[in-house]
This record gives sequence, C-alpha cells and structure tokens, in this order.
Amino acid sequence: MSDSAAAPTSTGIDHKKLIMWLFLASDCMFFGTLISTHLLYRKLYPTGFTDAEGHVRFVQNLFDIELTSFSTFILLMSSFLMALAVSAMHKGQIASFRRNVLGVILFGLIFLGCQVYEFTHFYHKGLTIQNSVFGSTFYVLTGTHGTHVAIGVLWLILLYFYSFTGKLRGHIGALDVEIAGLYWHFVDIVWIIIFTVVYLVEYLGPNGIWGSAVATITP
Amino acid sequence: MATAAHHAPVTDKTELPVERSDIGLVRPDRTTGLLDWLTTVDHKKIGILYGAFAMFFFLLGGVEALAIRTQLAKPNNDFISAPMYNQMFTMHGTTMIFLGVMPLSAAFFNFLVPLQIGARDVAFPRLNAFSLWTFVFGAFALNVSWVFEFGHLQGWFNNYEWYSKLVYKDFAPANGWFSYAPLSGTFGQADAALHAQRFTGVGTDFWIIGIQILGVASLAASFNFIVTIFNMRAPGMTMMRLPVFTWMTLVTAFLIILAFPAITVALIELMFDRQFGANFFNPTNGGQPILWQHLFWIFGHPEVYILVLPAMGIVSEILPTFSRKALFGYPIIVFSGAVIGFLGFAVWSHHMFTTGLGPVPTAAFSLLTMAIAVPTGVKIFNWVGTIWGGQVRFTPPMVLSLGFIWMFMCGGFSGIMHSSAPADSQQQDTYFVVAHFHYVLLGGVLLGLMAGLYFWFPKIFGRMPNAPIAYIASAMVIFGFNLAFGPMHYLGLTGMPRRTHTYQTGFGWEQWNFVATIGAYILGLGVFLAFANLVWTAWRGKRAETDPWDGRTLEWSLPSPVPAYNFAQTPVVTTRDAWFEHKHGGARIGALADGGPEGVHMPSQSWMPLLAAVGFLMVGLGIPMMSMGIPHLGWLVIAGLGVLILGIWLWAIEGPGGYHLKTPSAKTVTPTPTASAHA
Amino acid sequence: MFLAVRRFLLTSLLPLGILTLAGCAMRRFALTCLLPLGFLALTGCSKGQWVGRQSPMDPKGPLAQSQFDVFMDTVWLSLILFVIVGGILVYAVIRFRERPGQANTRPPEQGHGNPMIEIGLIMASVASLVVIAIPTLEAIWYMDDVPVESKPASKLSAWYTGKIDPKVAEDVLTIDVVGKQWWFRFEYPQLGLTQEGKRAIPNEIVIPRGKAVRINLRSEDVIHSFWIPKIAGKVDMVPGRRNHMWIQGDQVGLYYGQCAEFCGDSHAYMRFRCRVVEPEDFAKWVEAQRVPAVEPAANSLAATGKALFAQKNCAMCHRIGGQYDAGNFAPDLTHVASRTSLAGAWLDNRDPATQLAIDAKGNTELSAPIDPALQRKNLAAWIGSSGVLVDANGKPVHAADIKPGNRMHYYRMFNVAGLNETKVKLTQAELDAIVEYLMTLN
Repeated sequence: MSDSAAAPTSTGIDHKKLIMWLFLASDCMFFGTLISTHLLYRKLYPTGFTDAEGHVRFVQNLFDIELTSFSTFILLMSSFLMALAVSAMHKGQIASFRRNVLGVILFGLIFLGCQVYEFTHFYHKGLTIQNSVFGSTFYVLTGTHGTHVAIGVLWLILLYFYSFTGKLRGHIGALDVEIAGLYWHFVDIVWIIIFTVVYLVEYLGPNGIWGSAVATITP
Repeated sequence: MATAAHHAPVTDKTELPVERSDIGLVRPDRTTGLLDWLTTVDHKKIGILYGAFAMFFFLLGGVEALAIRTQLAKPNNDFISAPMYNQMFTMHGTTMIFLGVMPLSAAFFNFLVPLQIGARDVAFPRLNAFSLWTFVFGAFALNVSWVFEFGHLQGWFNNYEWYSKLVYKDFAPANGWFSYAPLSGTFGQADAALHAQRFTGVGTDFWIIGIQILGVASLAASFNFIVTIFNMRAPGMTMMRLPVFTWMTLVTAFLIILAFPAITVALIELMFDRQFGANFFNPTNGGQPILWQHLFWIFGHPEVYILVLPAMGIVSEILPTFSRKALFGYPIIVFSGAVIGFLGFAVWSHHMFTTGLGPVPTAAFSLLTMAIAVPTGVKIFNWVGTIWGGQVRFTPPMVLSLGFIWMFMCGGFSGIMHSSAPADSQQQDTYFVVAHFHYVLLGGVLLGLMAGLYFWFPKIFGRMPNAPIAYIASAMVIFGFNLAFGPMHYLGLTGMPRRTHTYQTGFGWEQWNFVATIGAYILGLGVFLAFANLVWTAWRGKRAETDPWDGRTLEWSLPSPVPAYNFAQTPVVTTRDAWFEHKHGGARIGALADGGPEGVHMPSQSWMPLLAAVGFLMVGLGIPMMSMGIPHLGWLVIAGLGVLILGIWLWAIEGPGGYHLKTPSAKTVTPTPTASAHA
Repeated sequence: MFLAVRRFLLTSLLPLGILTLAGCAMRRFALTCLLPLGFLALTGCSKGQWVGRQSPMDPKGPLAQSQFDVFMDTVWLSLILFVIVGGILVYAVIRFRERPGQANTRPPEQGHGNPMIEIGLIMASVASLVVIAIPTLEAIWYMDDVPVESKPASKLSAWYTGKIDPKVAEDVLTIDVVGKQWWFRFEYPQLGLTQEGKRAIPNEIVIPRGKAVRINLRSEDVIHSFWIPKIAGKVDMVPGRRNHMWIQGDQVGLYYGQCAEFCGDSHAYMRFRCRVVEPEDFAKWVEAQRVPAVEPAANSLAATGKALFAQKNCAMCHRIGGQYDAGNFAPDLTHVASRTSLAGAWLDNRDPATQLAIDAKGNTELSAPIDPALQRKNLAAWIGSSGVLVDANGKPVHAADIKPGNRMHYYRMFNVAGLNETKVKLTQAELDAIVEYLMTLN
C-alpha cells in the first residue's frame, strides 16, 4: 500500500511494518474487549446454557477439547511454516516460499474447517447465539477470530498467486510477506489466549475455574 | 517575496503522458475539477475536503441544536414532537462529535502535519483518501435516516408492506449519542423469528452502522498519521522539536487506535443483539446493560480527549505566534498532553457514578477524575506563561484562542464540581452537565478549531479572511455562547433534567430557558457568519503573503497556497520553532537537495480508495434497510462487501505509480527567510 | 417579573452595550469573557432564586444536604482558583498587549519555561484537590447505605404505629421502586403494599419524616433513574441489576421527583411525587391504601363507568382493588382520585395558581389541595387523548398524544405491528362514565 516504500524513514522502520504494528496494537484492544466480555459473563453465569429441551447443560460437556487441541496445534504449526516462508523470502528462495505458504494456507483452512465443524456440532448440541449469554459471547468471540483467520488465508492466497507474476521479489517483496507474517503470528497468538481462557480454564479443578458444578453433569 | 521565486510554476502532471497502472488501467491525472477532488491523494486537498464536509455537518448539527432550543424556549411547547426531539438531540450530539469536531480536527491533521514536520505527504496517501471517503459515506449513511424519517412523515411509504409491518416508526437514531442498552437493544425472549422485543426503530441500526463506518475511517487515518509523524520527520526534527500541534495529533491518534476498538466491539455486540437475537445486553436472558455503558465510556471518555487535544494543540501554536514568544514549558505541555491521554483511559466510570458501582469504585474514579484536572490545569498555566512577557497581538485567531482558554477554564471548573461523585449525583443528567461539556466542547473545542481555521486560512487558500467580520463573528460566538450555556448552569442546579423534550411551568426554569434560546440563535448566527466569511474570502479575499502572522513553524516558510510538492528541498532543522529562529534567531533551516535532476517524486492519483469506500456506503445503507424489512436489501449488503474487497484488491495490485515534478530550484539549497524585514 | 426582566437586561444587554462601546478587540474579548462570572454573581445574589420546586440547591434531607455541602466545597475552591488564574490571565493579556510600533521591533525574550514554577504549580493543584477529595470520600460512604447511627431511631418498631410483622420490626422501612416506561411503581414489602399483594402504589411515594428509608431500585424495561432532588441525588434503575440507596426527608411536605436517565419517547413525562409525612400519618396512609376501592352506587353513572372499565379492556392492565384484580401491567387505580397528579405525575390535579402563590413564598414543599374540577378534566383529557375519544361519526377528537409512545394508547408492549388500529374507542358518554367512576376511587 505504501507509496514511498523505498524512502528512508526517521525511525528506520519501514512505513508498512510500522502501520501493521499499529494495527495489531489496535486489534489487541479489540480482542481484549471481546475476551473481557466473555470472561465477565463466564464469571457472572458459571453454569453453561439451557438447550432447546430445557436441560441445563455445562460447558465442559459441550467442548470437544481433543479436537480443539488438534486445531490449535495445526494453527501453531502454520505459524512455524509462516516463519519459514518469511525466511525463504528474505533469502530470495521463491520456490521454498511458495511451498511453505501453501502449507500455511492448507493449515489455516484445516483450522477453519475444525471451527466450522465445532460450530455446527455445538449448534446441534443446543448452543445457539440466542439461547444464552454464553452462546452469544462464545460464537462472537471465536467467530471474530475465525474471520481474522479467513482474511489471513485470503491474503496469503493472493500473495501466493502474486508470486507467479514475478513482481514479488527483492526487499519490498520480502517486506510484504513479512507483514503478512506479522498478521498471521498475531492471529495465532490471539488464538492461544482464546484457547487458554475460553477452553482450557473450563477444565481447571474439579468444578472448573468458574465453579460450574461439573460433578452433576447431565448428558 | 524571495521564497516565492523558488516556487515559480512547475511542470504540471497533465503534461505527462497517460500513466497506466500495473493492471493496465489509466490512472486519473487531473489537477483541477471534480475528477481531481474525487481521486486526489494530496494531503492538502484531502484536508480541505475534510474541512468542507465538517463545516457542512457543523451547520447541520447547529440547525438541529436550534430546533432543540426553539422547542425549549417556553414550557409545554409543541414546536417539535417528543420523538422528533429525541431524534434531534441524538443526531445533534452524534453529528457534532463524529461529523463536526473529529473531521475538522482531521482536516487540520491532514493539512498541517506533513507541512509541520517537513514532509511531502502522509505515509500512505491512498489510505488517506480512503479515510476521507469512508468518513463521508459513513456520515451519509448516518444522515440518510433523516430522509426516511421525512418520507415517513410525508406518508411516502404508507402503501408498502414492509412499512405496515414496522412496530417502531422512528427512522433517525433516537437513543442519545451514547445509545444506552437496552433502550437501543433488545428485551424479552428471542422467538423463532429471531426478533426479541425492541424499544426503538431502525434509527438505531443506522446509528450502529454509521458509527462503525466512521470508526473505520478514524482508525485508518490514525494509523496513517502515527506512521507519518514517526517516520517522515525532516532531518533534525527530533520528537522534542515537533510542533505542539503535531504532538497533540500523535497523542490523539494513539487515543483513537486504542479507544475505538472498544466501541467497535460494543457496536458489533449490539448489532448481533438486534439482528441475530444475541444476548449481550438483553437483560431478560442475563445480558448486562451496564456492560454497554462500560464499553461505551471506555471509548467515550478518551473520545472527549480525542476532541479536545487537537484544539489544545492549535491554541498552543497560536498563542506563541501572537505573543511573539516561545511556548512556555514545551516539554511540560507535551508531557501533560500525553498524561491526559493516558489518564483519559482511567476515568470512564465517572460517567456512571449514578449506576450503583458501589463506594470503592466510585471513590477511585472520583479521585482519578480530580487527578486529570492537574495536567489540564498545567496546560492553562503554561499558556498564561506564554503570554507573560510577550507582545500580544489581537488578531482574530488570537481573540478566539483567548476565548478558548477562558471558556475551557470555565468548563474545567464545572468539571471539578462533578468530579466529586456526591455532587455529581445531583448534577448527573441535568443541564449543569450540558453546560459543562458545552463549555469544554463548544466554548473550548469549537473556538479552538475556529481559531485554527482563521490562523491557517492564508496558508490553505492563499487569501486573508476578512478581519472586521471575523471580529464581529467572534464576538457573537463568544457572547451568544455564554448567553446560551451560562444559564444552563443555573437550570441544572435548580433541577432541570437533560434530554427532556419539554418542561412544566412552576419550576422556575422559564426565563433562563428563554434567554438560552436567544443566546443559541446569536451563537448560530455568529458561527454561520464566521464560516460564511471563510467561504467567501477563500475566493474573494485579499491575497495573503507567505508568512502573514510572523509564524514559527515550517509551514510558514512555504508559499501561500502551498505547492503540490510542499517542500522543493527537504528542510533540515536544528531547533524547535525552526522558522521563527531562522528569521529572528541564530539557527538557520538547512536544505537537502533530495529531488535530484528529475524533480520531486509524487504519488499518483487513484480511484481505488473511493471504490473501496463505496463498498462501505452500500453496506451502510443495506443493513438498516434490510432491518426495516425492505425486500432484497440483503443483496445490497453482499454487493457492498464485494465492492469493498474488489476496491482493496485493485488498490493492492494497481501499484503505487508516481511521477516527478520539477521544482523551481533544484540546485539552490537554502530557502531565503521571508520575514527578515521584521528583524 | 420586573426583577427577572431587569436581571435579563443586565446580563444580556449590559455586556452588549459595553462591547459596542469598546473599540479595541482586546477589551471586547476581556469583557465578553467576564460574562459568565457576572452571570453567576447576578443569579447568586438572591437566595430565593435557588428555591425551585425541584432544586437540589434547597436540600430538605441529610443526603441532599451532604451532597449540597460537598458541592459548595467544590464551588468555593473553583471560584478561588478561577479568580486567581483568570485574574492573572486577564492581567497578562492587558499588561503584555502589543504597543504601537512594537510590531517591527525585535521579538521579546524567547523564554522556554521555568521548571521550578511548573512543579510548584503542579503541587499546588494537587494540594487544592485534596481539599475537595476528603469531603468527597466522606460523602460517598455516607450515601452508600443507611448509617449505623440512624438505624435505632429509624427501625420500624421505633416509630411505626400500625400493625407490623415482628420479623421485620427491627428493620428500617424498605421501599422497592420499579421503573417502567414511563412511570414508577412503589412497593412496601414490609407493609404488604406490593404487586403480589395486589396493592402497589404508582407515582406517589410516601415516607415518614425524619426516618431513614432504604430504597431498592429495579427496572422492568430500560434504564431509569430515581431522583428526588431536594431529598437525595439520583441512583439508576438498571434492568438485570439490583441497586439500592437510602433517603430521608426532614421536613413534612410534597417533593417533586423525576426520571433522570433518558428512557425513550416520553422521558420528560416520567415524573413522580414524594410526600414526607409525620410517622403517625404514615401509618394512617398505609391503612388507607389497604382498603379496597369504593363500590359505586347501583344504577349510577359511576356504575356504568365501572362496567365500561371492563368492557373497554382497561381492566386487563389496570387493577382496581376489590373490583378488578387481574390487571398487573399498568398503574394501580384503586385510590386514583386521592392522588395529586395523573399520567406519571405530568398532569397536576391541584390548581396551578394556588400552588404558584404558595411557591412564591419560598415553600414549594407545601401543597395546594386537589381541585376536583381540574382532576376530572385531567382524567378526561388523559383517557380521551391519542384518538381514543371519538365523535358521533367515529372520528378522533384529540388526535394528539399527551404522552407519546405511551402503552395505554399504543399497545407497544406486544411488539406486534398493526395493533395501533385496535386502539380503544370511546364516545363522549362512555368517557364521562369512566371518568365519573374513577373520580369515586378515593
């Protein structure tokens, strides 16, 4: 986007890189607010939600922690591949870049697939955006994160095809990839936080960190 | 003028052959006319557009204010109905804050920041154009609700099925600028048709999407300005040599990028409540309306400083100029600005003293609110210190700046009065608060911005505003303002609540309400006169010199109006107030002949920012109309998202382009001081 | 009136005259800026000016008094600082104005500030804020809940002369206040005056003089705020949240209250009244509220009205104790004719001229008696507004709303479009009968 990318800057940091850092700072506040909303309501209403049949259901039963751990692992690995892609771009190894970025795209899509599966699965278990505060905060928080991942995947697909035009090269090309990488790593870090405070803490202690009575689980 | 000789007419870009972008499309290249204004990436033209739209919306908000005051001129008045009144005060607040003050500040950011730091443009010129058009279309989406309201009153929609299905027929937003849930949200169980009960009509949907789009514009602009200020300073322009206005721009931009996400999330949550039956603020299903207030004010209080810091920066430029003296305690002024920005995030709950927070949070926020008075007071002390020992020249900008200090001080003191939570429990939501924040935001910010307009007008248009009319307008504004809002202190203290469309006789409010209405009309005429003066003299004013006020910062070293490339050579500064020191002191401005033989590199114009912003317009119109139940409008939303993505994609792949402008003196290095006559 | 005109002329015309006379921009500026100060001085000169019906500047209870005292602390501090800082500013502007011929001389000394002065000023600002911080903190905790020292004198057993459940005898009187769009419902759970007990009190709260009363604040729709300026500052009524406060009135009389949080179309009309009565009168009032409504004489106009009250669906929402007990949604009308106001305390049943004459003596808490003719007129106007009253051709007589958005006329509670058309229609004769019936409900 920068129209004067090559010009020297007062701080020595490239314009595009700086603006991406600023965007990420802003996005931190964005996710911070969403996560706070979720945690505040979790604390206020420790039991989960009431499904269509009127049964109170608990969050621990709802979650499929194995699947979510798998998709978290996939997202972490995609970050690793992203780092390799950036490094390859800096060394000018365009073929290696393409391989790695294709891996990132694939892993990103797997993550999104897991999320789509999770959403439909939860929906069939009775959690909707309308039937509880937990449903609202959960779907909006993870859905917003999913949107970020989807935008990232779209961006990387465009970069992948762009690399075949021959215009993605040199210092500026490496910078463009690095900035996409910054975004990707950020989205990954946010997921680690979400995975911790939304999923994992539900399994802390015998009753969960929110004191929801897991012992009296109904199926 | 010696400098003028260095900036003789240059090669016009229309002389260049047609330029094609990376995707083969012809790039727009006009320098005048409509096509130019729609596609420009020049920060000065974008600044002028921001200013023009802001002034228009100021007048619109002013008309809404006068409708409010007319209604309140006498008790039990029926000039406008209660629903209309609620729409009026909601749109008045929203318009003045988001469409008046913020874009007028943005106009100054755009025009001045690159000039003050010795840059040729902002870091991302096309992103800057995108911010402008997104703002314009967001403002349009917000205000188009009036068209629907008007159509509804005229009975245009009576024959439509969707219209007869509407429960609430208020089309303009009517929740106040703070839109407290659940009045703005939902209530009761969501049924199969997804619709929980609501308390307001589609006006709220217009409001939500309008503010959301305006937020995108503000965020994009803020990212841009932070990068510009950090990265594009001229050699020698260290952070502690930045002009104060630029510093305040930086603090404001940081406030925007850190505060707007809170409202963005709150708006998303409210939109999910209204459109998809979520439960964020729906008390029936366990949602906590108080959360909306927290999220809103975590944004809303920094927003107050977003509004006021640019005006403080402007005044901090004008006072030294017309006292012919350096700003007293520059580091303290800068530091206090940053402290205000920081503390601004820690006082939001003082808007919520009456919501039953409990004594400990109330006490904490009470004390923090008192604490924020200290850095604000420091600024006032330093402004007085600047005047002290100077030679005060009473030009129109100076009169308005002094008015700013005085009114801001009055507003500050009434602010201290309700920083005390017990006192505030009587004043919250009364006219005392209305008086307080109008002293800060109208007597303060508007006077500051008007001072800025009159101060930099010669630089922007190369013409002088008419001084006698400026004095008369300033006197009318200051006098009318005090007559309108002074009595509101009294009204509030004797118990008149805000946001009530009428009041009864027998409460002792009749006389001063009438006086306030007279004051409001005088104020309105004054503002109109001040703006009319500017518009008229932009075409017909006396030609301005390069440096009519004996200015202090770099922009005054440039010809009026400023050429497209700003600086023929990049200036090299060695001191604060570089231009003033250059003229009157020992430190000279150097120059870096960076242009080379082919001249200065200029960015190409582009359609893409406008195209992407049009996508937002379609979404902004589509969502509320979809929510009204007008059939097929979902397609408009989808098409809008498509246009948005298409615009950004074409923008990314069209390449930045660019061309070179010949500057008049590529070989000469040092600009000649123009004001040596003063020495 | 003359006083008011003079005051108006002084504030508006005097500075204007001076402005015109003052030739130079500096003087124009300085004098215009002094205007707010002059305004304060002018309004401040007569105490009577501050004793409005709803003025917190005329406190009549310990809470309002403490809030007023803290406020005055801030006022004096601000005034002192204002005079000092403002004085220095005005002095500096006048003293350092540009003299003729100075324009082309060398600029003055370019001082860049003095750290010692700045630090001194910062410390002074902090010190002056401590002066108001201490009483602020005291008052915050005082406002929070009924003070321990007030409890012995305020517990029900200490003063309540009527019959009382021993379980609650040691508690202070507790009132539940429920906010609705756009009226207040008051419930006295310890005394059996509740919604569940089929006898809630709308829009006129009664409290014993000199006794602390605990108030629980609830809302059933949007956010409202409970505010009786002369007795206590406001606390919001937030749906889904349980707020509380306490109040105490120290002088017998009638006080004006108002919803202070914007709550929709008719926010301005959401008012209520608070009667402070002697403790023994309070017990009598409670007994009177428990009595069911008076049965109208057979074959009277009122009896027709009673029948119409059910026929026209009024009884679906309004309760009339002992006669129509189903209504749960709208204000309880069992003793509607005994109240000084109607329609969310917007329509006043007392003769306005009499009340103004009482107010003029500075005793706004004294109340004029109910004027039955006016009460009848108000009832007819209120019920017949918004097109409910129709003429012989079925055309609405008063199309305008007295209270826009009010559910009595709009059925918005059902959230269904088209129900506006099913609005109740009344002929003049039917309206008269219903009004006659309601007038009997003392």
